[in-house]
Amino acid sequence: MSQDTDTTPTTDTADLKRGPFESWVNRSISNPENVYQAMFYLVTGFFLVTTLFPFYWLVVLALTPNEQIVDMGLLPKGTNVGAFVEVFQAIPFHRFVINSLLIATATTIIVLVLASLAGYVFGRLDFPGKKPLMLVILAISYFPPAAFLLPLFSLFTGGKALYFQTSAITIGLQSPDLYNSPWPMVMPFSALFLPLSIFILTTFYGQIPDGLEDAARIEGTTRLGALARVIVPLSAPGIATAGVLTFITVYNEYFFSSLMTNGAWQNWAPIVEGILGYRGHHETPYNLMAAASIVGVLPVAILVVVAQEKIVSGLTSGALKE
Amino acid sequence: MEGLSETQFAYLLLTPALLLLAVIALWPLLSTFRMSLFADNLTGSAQLGSFVGLQNYVELFTGQKSYALPAPFLPKLTGTFPYVTGWFTTALGATLVFTVVSVFFETIIGFGQALVLDQDFTGRRWVRVAIIIPWAVPVVIQGMIFYLLFQPNIGFLIGDAQQTILQQLGIFGKTPLANAGETMLIIIVADVWKTSAFMALLILAGLQSIDRNLYEVARVAGASKWQQFKLITLPLVLPTVLIAMLFRTIAAMRVYGIIDSVSSCQTVPSLSCMVVAGFSQRQIGTAATVAFVTAAIIGVAVSVYIAKFARSSVGGD
Repeated sequence: MSQDTDTTPTTDTADLKRGPFESWVNRSISNPENVYQAMFYLVTGFFLVTTLFPFYWLVVLALTPNEQIVDMGLLPKGTNVGAFVEVFQAIPFHRFVINSLLIATATTIIVLVLASLAGYVFGRLDFPGKKPLMLVILAISYFPPAAFLLPLFSLFTGGKALYFQTSAITIGLQSPDLYNSPWPMVMPFSALFLPLSIFILTTFYGQIPDGLEDAARIEGTTRLGALARVIVPLSAPGIATAGVLTFITVYNEYFFSSLMTNGAWQNWAPIVEGILGYRGHHETPYNLMAAASIVGVLPVAILVVVAQEKIVSGLTSGALKE
Repeated sequence: MEGLSETQFAYLLLTPALLLLAVIALWPLLSTFRMSLFADNLTGSAQLGSFVGLQNYVELFTGQKSYALPAPFLPKLTGTFPYVTGWFTTALGATLVFTVVSVFFETIIGFGQALVLDQDFTGRRWVRVAIIIPWAVPVVIQGMIFYLLFQPNIGFLIGDAQQTILQQLGIFGKTPLANAGETMLIIIVADVWKTSAFMALLILAGLQSIDRNLYEVARVAGASKWQQFKLITLPLVLPTVLIAMLFRTIAAMRVYGIIDSVSSCQTVPSLSCMVVAGFSQRQIGTAATVAFVTAAIIGVAVSVYIAKFARSSVGGD
């Protein structure tokens, strides 16, 4: 720039004599919108590259035959689509995915039913103890999963694994069969992820005018009937949000998922075990790990594409206003 | 059922949720606390030793607690955190370093992403999907991605025969996932990659609830874009950012999945890693104590946060 200004006059008429960068700068000074535009595209491009690159890397590895995965560049060494078939042959990977999907579905249903009832109570009824109860429910979600692990493990193994076999509750639910079933995951997830859904639904249910519920009541509907026929349908977006968030959170969970089964797909081991299962192989099948990761991400990726608006609106109304 | 008072009806509807929370959350919490008052019993058939009161807690904090664990990370870590000695302070230090650094970068990057997503532009829907999709990636796959990225001699980041740029800069050695400091860096990058997106989602939700008329008024009054950001956007979205940081801090303090899936909890021990390790070694008393100390630290952090930002966030609806 400074060299240029020595030799050429810096008037607007000299615009043509400047390089493209200088004239762009000149235009930008008179019109800062351009700069904002350029910065915006630069930043957006940066975010797109950084968020998408790891996925691209998975694709590169999945397409490269495993024996060729050495000193990889940024391009795949081959187009071995076979890895995506082999994923299901090396171990029954689809079974792990189906286990996870079923566990997530069961949890979502339990959470939605319980949170609907609780959301109705917190959003529409007034009673003593309401605030403290909500606080207790919120506080539970602050505890680390590690704080629940030991007793729950004991509970689901029928008290065999830990000291706690004398506890009344353990005796009540004692059944060694609970371990290696979906319940050691579904029940903790339902309890631990319930608070968020309760808060989302409390907000949605609380916003419905009393008049609508009263009208249904006058026509002879019970309170529960009004909840099912008036309030729930009117809060469909809130329920969808809570459902999507719960489903994704459960499908993605690691802690209990990796500790509450013995890792066999027959025993309801979820996707965590499926993906980590490739690591134990004699010769590490990097391309299968990558392909399995891509397959495993697809269900939630599709859900995010479909439900992105709902996720944002649900977080706006539920999680943050509380 | 119609004969019930509103209070009775309320508690009736809450019963299933409260029952589930009592059995699956409240009872385990109390039970874990009770276990933390008993000594480990490594020899006998009983799984807990004798009642020792708060001795586990005292020994934990004074560094007397020995842990019969295969802990390959310990000698390596003392190089990374020279100011700490025992395994507990090492795990605590690792957890705190992870929490502070990752939440800091997630907030900044998430804020930037949210600002981008708040704009109106063609293709916004797909940019939004691209930016938030890491949030939806299961932890184990997130771990697998970064495990694969930093495997020596397969990728362009870490070379075996010839050094890559990252190695020449001295950031990584030949086996980053076997080195505590380098693994810490990798799990922080992995966490920032995934959870910036979550941060962006929360902050975007906050941005979208700002009344657009305010910007109109500011523009008419001649405010520049920067002034609009500083005087309208920032103060109005700050409560959301603080709550989002609170959520992230709580989650980061209990970090386990990303560490376990990247390095099998072998190089960087988070507090949750230590609980699982203690549990698998049948050192139930010690494991329970660590679990409860973690919970207490989170509780203190939450309280400090709420007390400090009470006016701007909680109750400031």
